[in-house]
Amino acid sequence: MPIVIFELPDGTQRKVTADSGTVLMQAAVSNGVDGIVAECGGNASCATCHIYVDERHGERVGPPNDVEDEMLDFTAAERRPTSRLSCQVQVSDALDGLVVHIPEEQV
Amino acid sequence: MSTLMAAAPGAPVVELDLAELRDDPYPAYAQLRRTAPLAWVPSVGRHLLTRYEDIVHAEKLPEVFSSREEGSLLLRTVGPNLLREDDPQHRRLRAAAEPPTRPRQVRDLWAGTFERNAHELLDRIAGRGEGDLIGDFAEPLAAANLAVVLGLRNASADDVSDWSRSMMAANGNYADDPDTWLRAEQATRAIEDAVAEMAEAARREPDGSVISSMVHATDPVELTEIQNNIKVIIGGGVNEPRDVFGVGAQALLRRPDVRDRVVADPGLWKRVFEETARWISPIGMYPRQLTQDYEIAGVALPAGSRVALVIASGNRDESVFERADEFDIDRPHRPHLAFGGGPHFCMGAWVARHEVSALAWPLVFSRLKGLRLVEGADDRMEGWVFRGLTSLNVTWQA
Repeated sequence: MPIVIFELPDGTQRKVTADSGTVLMQAAVSNGVDGIVAECGGNASCATCHIYVDERHGERVGPPNDVEDEMLDFTAAERRPTSRLSCQVQVSDALDGLVVHIPEEQV
Repeated sequence: MSTLMAAAPGAPVVELDLAELRDDPYPAYAQLRRTAPLAWVPSVGRHLLTRYEDIVHAEKLPEVFSSREEGSLLLRTVGPNLLREDDPQHRRLRAAAEPPTRPRQVRDLWAGTFERNAHELLDRIAGRGEGDLIGDFAEPLAAANLAVVLGLRNASADDVSDWSRSMMAANGNYADDPDTWLRAEQATRAIEDAVAEMAEAARREPDGSVISSMVHATDPVELTEIQNNIKVIIGGGVNEPRDVFGVGAQALLRRPDVRDRVVADPGLWKRVFEETARWISPIGMYPRQLTQDYEIAGVALPAGSRVALVIASGNRDESVFERADEFDIDRPHRPHLAFGGGPHFCMGAWVARHEVSALAWPLVFSRLKGLRLVEGADDRMEGWVFRGLTSLNVTWQA
């Protein structure tokens, strides 16, 4: 199973085993990673599971889908080219070793 | 699964007076959080769950804490609807209804009309120098905006407002008053006719509204389903933005220093909105029913148990929000529970944020110069399932 690294705003890293077939948000929430709020439980309605994909890993994750793209304009922390909603990123073996950064604010 | 209409074995039983809850539920909630975070309350007929962490936990387990509560008055009033469904049925209806309420649609499609609606209402009262910001402004504004988003061009703001009140009265009609049922039936029949007419129009010519979105949904939705879901949206869609507007406006009028800061820095209206929704949540609680045996807050609940998630209480939980009873726009940003959580996360959240914090408050505070509260006015805060001001009497320089 792929391992994903969540880096918190203070620089601490949390290494989490993610289940293939779920989404990144799920891996963060079920492992109690601070800073992923996910109010709507993964339906791309709330914009509170915002992440920045590490620049070295952008191509492995790909661009946001249409619904997500809209929601990313309304996140609490600034949108960057690497912004994604973690509830819309499917976990697969190809993401093993992925590093994502958690923004300062979700609400 | 049959509903259990009594306390679970081992659950503490706490007597609460409904009139006192309506008046001010917060002292009772504080007591429950300290001594009985899951308690059976006979007058409510449900177990009240009152701590932040427990509520969040329940919201994230919709397969255990089901929205399909049996015997719900809401079901009797409006018929089957997405609020009382679980996934996948809920998801199908939500996916059909949601697109027009998403933030970009709000900005691109509705914001201009919302702003015109607000100006028209202010034009009507500006020369008077006094008024009730709930009855003269917030309620008609919320109703007019809702009619636009829903696609009810054949209904006036007064229609929408009256329908909403009639249905809300029936949802709380525990006394079984026949006149209340009758008025709700008249309202729901009128909504069915109005929706049928606009659904037909939207079939020919899509207009981006909720009705239109449901008519053209990829996963087909029946007319009856469209009608019932529009009823439920009208039920809550007027009072929630109205109440957050009223409570926040009053809070600022009582704290001129905060008002001056916000007026000088309009970026702060967002903080006012989120803090108001936390401090006095327009929706105070919602019901769930257990699909299986489950232990929460130290009590083993059997399947079929009725639980009320008291989000108004979670939003005052001292372990999450310091000095939780105070209105403080500068508090550290922590997610509040006012919009609910999980798949039922408030569909109107982005509409309400825009119409209240980007338009209604800034326009009222800039157009009505010298705005102040009327001293000694009987502006009461009321309700616990839904809570808000019954009126907000103010004066300004005409």
